[in-house]
Amino acid sequence: MQLLVNIVVLAAIYALISCGYVLIYRVSRVLNLAHGELMMLGAYLLYSTASLLGDSPITALLMSALLGLVAGILVYLFLMRRMTGEMVLAAVLCTIALGVMLRGITVLIWSAQVRHPLAALGWSNPSLQILGDARISLVNAILIGLTALVYAGLFGFLGFTRSGIRMRAAGQNPLLASQRGIRLHGIYALAWGLSTFTAGLAGMLISMDSSLDGTMVMLGLKAFPAALVGGLDSLAGALLGSAIIAIAEVTLIHYVNPLLSDVVPFIVLLAVLVVRPWGLFGSKEELDRV
Amino acid sequence: MKRLLAALTLAAAVPVLAQDAYVVGLSGAVTGPNADTYAPGVEAVKLYIDQLNKHGGVNGKPVKLIIGDNQGEPSKAAADAKRFVTQDNAVLLVNVGLSSSYGPMVAEAKRARVPLLFAGAACPGEVLPPNPDELLFCSIAAAMKYDADMALRFIKEQSKEPVKLGLAAMAIPVSRAGIDYAESQAPGLGMTPAAKVQIPPATPDYTPYASKIKDAEPNWVFSWAPWVTEVKTFEALRKVGWNGRYIAAALNPAEDELARVRDEGLHGLSVNAMFLENMPVHQQIRDAAKGASLTYPVTQMAEGWVAGMIIEQALKAVAWPPTPEKVLTAMSTLKVDTKGLRGGPIEWNKSNHFRTKQYYRIYRWDAGKKAVTRVQDWTVVDVE
Repeated sequence: MQLLVNIVVLAAIYALISCGYVLIYRVSRVLNLAHGELMMLGAYLLYSTASLLGDSPITALLMSALLGLVAGILVYLFLMRRMTGEMVLAAVLCTIALGVMLRGITVLIWSAQVRHPLAALGWSNPSLQILGDARISLVNAILIGLTALVYAGLFGFLGFTRSGIRMRAAGQNPLLASQRGIRLHGIYALAWGLSTFTAGLAGMLISMDSSLDGTMVMLGLKAFPAALVGGLDSLAGALLGSAIIAIAEVTLIHYVNPLLSDVVPFIVLLAVLVVRPWGLFGSKEELDRV
Repeated sequence: MKRLLAALTLAAAVPVLAQDAYVVGLSGAVTGPNADTYAPGVEAVKLYIDQLNKHGGVNGKPVKLIIGDNQGEPSKAAADAKRFVTQDNAVLLVNVGLSSSYGPMVAEAKRARVPLLFAGAACPGEVLPPNPDELLFCSIAAAMKYDADMALRFIKEQSKEPVKLGLAAMAIPVSRAGIDYAESQAPGLGMTPAAKVQIPPATPDYTPYASKIKDAEPNWVFSWAPWVTEVKTFEALRKVGWNGRYIAAALNPAEDELARVRDEGLHGLSVNAMFLENMPVHQQIRDAAKGASLTYPVTQMAEGWVAGMIIEQALKAVAWPPTPEKVLTAMSTLKVDTKGLRGGPIEWNKSNHFRTKQYYRIYRWDAGKKAVTRVQDWTVVDVE
């Protein structure tokens, strides 16, 4: 039973990270290779707000989540907006540069020292007994719930709200969408904001469950195969991809060799790409355009 | 951190034109993955040398410490070392970084015949006795074989019941070698190795690894890895309901971390005396830190401070003008009084560039005293 809990937790982590990749790719066809750094930025923002507002942990949490959203919008307005209409490759390279810059900035501001946002908030992370003798930490339980909430919110937003439908339209045919009066820059900025917001949530929760240091950047890359396996333009695919990668990873750690955990996401990815290059739920025509 | 990075920039921009100082080139992981383990060491060496220069330097000459940030990358360590020996005319090289940065620095040190002091991660095999490389030396606290031997000895002494041993490493060569060695030694001490996990440096959730260990039902776990992996594995074990005891190499952040975790089952195997001992040398480091606006807590300065003591002692024995060859001669027969930071002096000779005796103290959280306390005083291990 503990194995099942471990799989669900890891799948939720990957799903929460990978939905940000999907949102930006789906709307602008840009692969955001600074996603891990933006996730880390969200966690550091939480550490800072928690240090400043230790007496009001809820305010600190909400403020850092809001700052994550704002950071994403600012990244679009001051950087990615200038890439609109340029080659997609230029935009992707721009995200790489953004990632390098963010890594440098975080070291300058927060140093390489390991931080503990949960302690700064003054909270503890008790272990809860669930499903027989299986256990889960409180933060991980919240992470699972929040991931479900984020996906439900995103499905609802994209399916039923005017802004969401406009976002999908902009992703499918930006020229036509623009001619129909959709303000593309506003839509793209919102997509970047939402993507950074979800990445920030992932960063905050992961750092609250364990700790925060520079290696968090690499977690962004570890979730990338989950998004690709599911199909880069499909939220449902990101969920399924995350579950597949998590099942493979946790099972191999437990029954075969823990050393395989780093390579298994990429083995699964290669296997899927050989059979279905556009991912399980991705759309074929979109990948051809890339 | 800003000051440290500014020092790096200045060091890169201004090569030593007039050879009016003892020049020491230090390449360390100031930033990059796992910099939390090494950057405090770099900062402590700088703190020590700054203090030394404030008090007149060595033999009336200042010591110029040039710091390069290798970010744990071999190519950057190679570039640093090359610059130190060809541009800056360094008479001594120092490495405070990941073991991955050792190779290129060793190659450069050998090419230029400049002594190289390892002061960061784990001491490489070619420094250990009985046949150390003539150019390589270690002030590093951690040493795979001796740490594992001491940890196993402590576990055996503490356990009335048969020991089932879990082992946890980071998935990097030196850490894996450490737990492989412990696994090979455990049966000889009547212990049963029960589970062994190697955890990647970037891991979103440690519980799958902890579950694997827990399912093997060990009553003790030994971890020999960068501190982040050691403590995260322990915390994950507690989250999955494991109630056994855990011993880990107490690297730089350990003192504050034992106080943060507050668990009597977590033991830190330390070569340096922790600041809770409040010895005069600790006060000296605290005083030095007061005006220095350090990035890292003063409790993480011991390891780098010891390296600073060694650099001072070696240079003291070098008559002006200094050359790498003179420094090498001085280091080959060096004895450094660590003022209690270690259990005894660091002593080097022709066949031993590590130390002739390795001393360990063991610390853990004491719930009754609500403080980190020493549970075992200096225990000596002969280095042969």
